[in-house]
Amino acid sequence: MTGVVRLEQLTKSYGRNRGVVELDLTVRAGEVFGFLGANGAGKTTTIRTMLDLIRPTSGRVTIFGLDAHRDGVDVRRRLGYVPGDLRLYGRLTPRELFSYFGALRGLRSLSGAERLAERFELEVDRPIAALSRGTRQKVGLVQAFMHEPDLLVLDEPTSGLDPLVQQTFNDLARETAAAGRTVFLSSHVLSEVQHVADRVALVRDGRLALVDEVESLRARALTRIEVTFAEAPAEHAFDGVEHVRELERRGPVVVFHVRGEIDAFVKTLAEHRVVALNSHEADLEDIFLSLYRGDDGRAAA
Amino acid sequence: MLLRNVLLKTLRDSSRAVIWWSLGLIGLVALMVSVYPSVHGNAALDKLVHDYPQALKGFVAFGGELDYTSGAGYLGSELFALMVPLLLLVAAIGAGARALAGEEEAGTLDVLLANPVSRRRVAAEKLAALFLELFALGAVLFLALVVGCRAAGLGVSAAHLAAATVSAVVLAAGFGAIALLLGAVTGKRARAVAGAAALAVAGYVLNGLASLVGALEPLQKLSPFYHYAASDPLRHGLGLPHIAVLVGIAAVASVLGPFAFERRELVA
Repeated sequence: MTGVVRLEQLTKSYGRNRGVVELDLTVRAGEVFGFLGANGAGKTTTIRTMLDLIRPTSGRVTIFGLDAHRDGVDVRRRLGYVPGDLRLYGRLTPRELFSYFGALRGLRSLSGAERLAERFELEVDRPIAALSRGTRQKVGLVQAFMHEPDLLVLDEPTSGLDPLVQQTFNDLARETAAAGRTVFLSSHVLSEVQHVADRVALVRDGRLALVDEVESLRARALTRIEVTFAEAPAEHAFDGVEHVRELERRGPVVVFHVRGEIDAFVKTLAEHRVVALNSHEADLEDIFLSLYRGDDGRAAA
Repeated sequence: MLLRNVLLKTLRDSSRAVIWWSLGLIGLVALMVSVYPSVHGNAALDKLVHDYPQALKGFVAFGGELDYTSGAGYLGSELFALMVPLLLLVAAIGAGARALAGEEEAGTLDVLLANPVSRRRVAAEKLAALFLELFALGAVLFLALVVGCRAAGLGVSAAHLAAATVSAVVLAAGFGAIALLLGAVTGKRARAVAGAAALAVAGYVLNGLASLVGALEPLQKLSPFYHYAASDPLRHGLGLPHIAVLVGIAAVASVLGPFAFERRELVA
């Protein structure tokens, strides 16, 4: 299947360092795609070229097989957008905003917006200017989802949302993808997208550093396991067990690092009498941070 | 429902401002015509005005000869030489600058343009809203003038009042469209206002000085203010070539505005 979003050698240069360089990326239909990077890495620049707010210096942005600039109106008919710096008409109420954008989109009914507003427990009859930041963010999400677009482009959509609302958003994003529609989601923290995204890309200094399935990232994740044995195992009992490294011992308590598949470790462990077991799945953040540091060891975050 | 499209949304946003501007225009007309009876036929005043230095006459006359004691001359000097175009220009330039640059600065352009509307269309609808607002202000001004002139016995025909009003509205429409164009190019409301206002002041001064300084006279026709007044609308109605120049200015700016907006980089 051809990608819903295709960036081909996308380059956008500004005065000095900002912008993006030769970005190649394909987002598939029906996936939630996490687009990650530090602030200033080029996420918003990329997204703004997708919306035709800015134009590539070179390269191409294709959405639904259409040119994001030349066929911008047709692209945006099937797209919903929450900008990173969301600003709405303060004098309108959310209901009026939905009705305005609904009219611009030629929607016959606002039932979609009403359903979403209910789901997010959004007050729709107070002027937007009087709403809290988190509530305004909900307004942004509702206007992006209300026409059931084939592609959602969301620039840090969950910033300012409380965890409960974030969960509602995650559910919505999953449902959207399950219905075959596509969600393109940017964030500067992996933890925000790791539970909802199928794949993630990382941009660093305007370049694509990595694209991978969240699952396979997880497989590379380091799990820290603390085992309390009935009696301490022999010194080298776990040497040579696949993916396992013994980290430290305090009497009968041994700490292991397991990278990826845990099966071999569990089978070896079963040969011993285990009193207690405690495991912390390393946050994907840790893997990311290790990738984040450039070859020169400098932290980009 | 006033939220059907960009045009109606813009009119809805500016409705309050239009009402205030209308009240201002009505008040101005009421004040000026109410003074007229004490000026009319005042020979001393007539002589005083007649002896005005030439430099001043260039600025206070509205087409034709300076003549304070006839209805047309009085209206021309008191309203159309400065106050009416000033008010309409301030309203037009403000609205033109707000149209695109204002929305860009407010940050709402991002979500607006995420809708399936082309930028050209957004700019065109904003221009249409601007012209409709000016048309409404012109209609209010015209009605106030008709009523006022009848009440105070100024003896200027409705057709000539309409001619002067149309000339002022079209002049203002041109500068409003220029402000919108400058806003589309720069994305900054203050720059759009400053640029359009500077052009207006330059045109006004050029027109006033040209009747005084011989060397400037060939340049006078470059000033929109010259074409605004040249046909002496309160006495002779509209002169086609002059109004055509004013319409032309508005038309060129109206074509360039959406074009420039289409090409802009809307950097967050």
